[in-house]
Amino acid sequence: MFMKMRMLVLGLCVGCSSLWAAGVSYPNKPIRLIVAFPPGGSTDIIARLVAQRLGEQLGQQVIVDNRGGAGGTLGTEIAARAAPDGHTLTMGTTSTHVIAPAAYTTVKYDPLKDFEPITLVASTPYLLVVHPGVKASSVKEFVAVAKSQPGKLNYASAGTGSTTHLAMEMLNAAAGMNVVHVPYGGNGPAGTAVLGGQVQALFGSMPAVLPHAQAARVRPLAVGTDKRSPALPNVPTVAESGYPGFEVSLWLGFFAPKGTAKPILARLEKELTAIANSPEMGALFEKNGASPLTTTPNELTQLMGRELQKYGKVIKAAGIQLK
Amino acid sequence: MDFTLILQNLGLGFSTALSLVNLAYCFLGVLVGTLIGVLPGIGPVAAVAMLLPLTFNLDPVGAIIMLSGIYYGTQYGGSTTAILVNLPGESSSVITCIDGYAMARAGRAGPALAIAAIGSFFAGTVGTILVALLGPPLAEIALKFGAPEYFSLMVMALIAASVLSSGSMMKTICMIVLGLLVGIVGTDVNSGMSRFTFGMSGLADGIHFAVIAMGLFGFAEIASNLSDKADTAERTVLNQKITGLMPTYEDMKAASGAIFRGTAIGAFFGTLPGGGPTISAFSAYALEKKLAKDPSRFGKGAIEGVAAPESANNAAVQCAFITTLTLGIPHGATMALILGALTIQGIAPGPQVMTQRPDLFWGLIASMWIGNAMLVVLNLPLVGLWVKLLKVPYRFMFPSIMVFMAIGVYSVNNLDLDVYFTILFGVLGYLFLKLNCQPAPLILAFVLGPLMEENLRRALLISRGDPTVFFTRPISAGFLIAAILLLIIMIIPSFKKKREEAVASSEVL
Repeated sequence: MFMKMRMLVLGLCVGCSSLWAAGVSYPNKPIRLIVAFPPGGSTDIIARLVAQRLGEQLGQQVIVDNRGGAGGTLGTEIAARAAPDGHTLTMGTTSTHVIAPAAYTTVKYDPLKDFEPITLVASTPYLLVVHPGVKASSVKEFVAVAKSQPGKLNYASAGTGSTTHLAMEMLNAAAGMNVVHVPYGGNGPAGTAVLGGQVQALFGSMPAVLPHAQAARVRPLAVGTDKRSPALPNVPTVAESGYPGFEVSLWLGFFAPKGTAKPILARLEKELTAIANSPEMGALFEKNGASPLTTTPNELTQLMGRELQKYGKVIKAAGIQLK
Repeated sequence: MDFTLILQNLGLGFSTALSLVNLAYCFLGVLVGTLIGVLPGIGPVAAVAMLLPLTFNLDPVGAIIMLSGIYYGTQYGGSTTAILVNLPGESSSVITCIDGYAMARAGRAGPALAIAAIGSFFAGTVGTILVALLGPPLAEIALKFGAPEYFSLMVMALIAASVLSSGSMMKTICMIVLGLLVGIVGTDVNSGMSRFTFGMSGLADGIHFAVIAMGLFGFAEIASNLSDKADTAERTVLNQKITGLMPTYEDMKAASGAIFRGTAIGAFFGTLPGGGPTISAFSAYALEKKLAKDPSRFGKGAIEGVAAPESANNAAVQCAFITTLTLGIPHGATMALILGALTIQGIAPGPQVMTQRPDLFWGLIASMWIGNAMLVVLNLPLVGLWVKLLKVPYRFMFPSIMVFMAIGVYSVNNLDLDVYFTILFGVLGYLFLKLNCQPAPLILAFVLGPLMEENLRRALLISRGDPTVFFTRPISAGFLIAAILLLIIMIIPSFKKKREEAVASSEVL
């Protein structure tokens, strides 16, 4: 029975791809873009900006479908199981395609095997900030303060196993200090905690902490990216502050379910690369604390492979294990 | 404080908000908000998310005015269904169900709806004035609230909640414990571990409030209505004739104190990030019940039981804008969305908005008041229409309510699992009704429990395990002392009663 069904499904798929070959146009219905986070967050905003332009280019509406939950793994799993016909895509990020699979034992998808990477569109830096009460204006001074009173300082994160958590654990390991992790339920509450001085530091996502840094409510010490951010040209990178090789950023890209036809993927790559590199989109990204970043599918696969290793090590060293 | 400066700013605000275009956006926002809010289960988050794309091409001032209108419009619409059909659209209107629905069944839906509108308007006005006059300093105070303060606050609120129930104390405690347990389901914020999820990824973020509320209130209510032995063909929600649409002089007199007190409570809790409309509404109701000469009227259609929580949640909704606007700290999912809309417009939310875009900041404040006025103008004439809706035969009404509830619950996370859970809670809710167990304490515990746990563990993590932190920080200590006082007030009467009973029985002997 199941065998028969499988044959039927297989037959249908073959039928579809031959239809494709016969020149049935893609897309022939609205495209669903799964965003594995609730509306309003930075991933959602970038997705919506790109979705609108992509829809114009393809002549079909691109509908953002927010499937938040379980740290982005819920929606990503749905995308992995969707029909590979190019009408379901997902916005994958460092969180959904690297950190969650590395940290959670229960993730039901394989970031490398279940998806066709298309291209990245943007990346957002992480910014290390401290409460103004902390007597440090550089990473070096911060490390000195932390070491002079071991186990006294705390840092906030957007949640256990989030990028904001891992970034600080990487710095803890690199500097040999012990700033204690205090998890909060998201970037917003974590930011509030540093503003109020409840905790002393946060390695927060740029869109969430930049306004507070600009208003001098928190003091920016360094960005986690390999280059300085145009939004804060005077703030050094962690790497140039004495920890060469340190790099933490959040990338956002488009993925299709495994088995999506090559011509469809090529078309999407072409359109998305053009959109992400257009000056208008660049300006919109910048307003949201992101900058354009595009890759070929191959480069994206390699990047994921490297990062899965890198963060896997951090997770193991910090003893983070999530179920 | 420079008073003339504030007047000047408000002048700028009103001239911005009163432009024809912005007035239209404001009206559109509150109208759409009210309509969506009336649909059971679809709360402000879903409404704002659905309409967010519409604002991409608007100018920022118009966009935020419209989205805020939707926000307080849904809040308002949620109370309408709470009163009419016992369906809380939002966690903050759960408490309105108790006496609001009792009033509706007694044929007094009109006065209940009207007093909700009047109370909300008064609270909205006070809230707007507070935001304008004291916004920035209040936000600074709110930042002083750390984990210990939140924990102690929740302890106080939870103890206050036990006066909510009119039934037996034992059953109330059982419901609170059950609510705490259901609240634990999901990922633990501190360790990242899943609890009680049974491997279902749909439960990783816990059970959503809408699922519980629609199940325990909505489905359970329908089931119990249908199990009544009355003639099914002609059944309506009413069991008495409708008496008057507007509140009488006596109603207004009874409600006015409740409105004042509710507004004060709402303004206080609303300013705290993480405080919010729900705690305000529960606390205001509890206070009214404590102050009442005859607390037994509560639960049977006391107008104060509608006026107080409705004023409180609306004041809280307005004051929620204080931290959102002055600090750029979103107050909850809806506020995060509204801030997201600003970001899409290229405005970085935060303290600098006030100085860089005074037209936007003060325009929004002015439009809040205008929006609240519009809500009253819109809703008072609608009261008659809503009340007529109650005369619709139940055989038409209940299937449509159920469909809307299912859509509403699904729309929260786009998850079919949520709909099944709603049915499960519906069955539970029906059992509770039959057993005379009240669902309100369960819901409050469900909302507060996880926050309480999170803040308790966070406070201890920061203090490195030292529990004295709850008593050495003055604000936290204050809340705990208030909690102890509340406990004493509650225990004394029951002791007294026991003694009286003992005396009485010995006399019989």
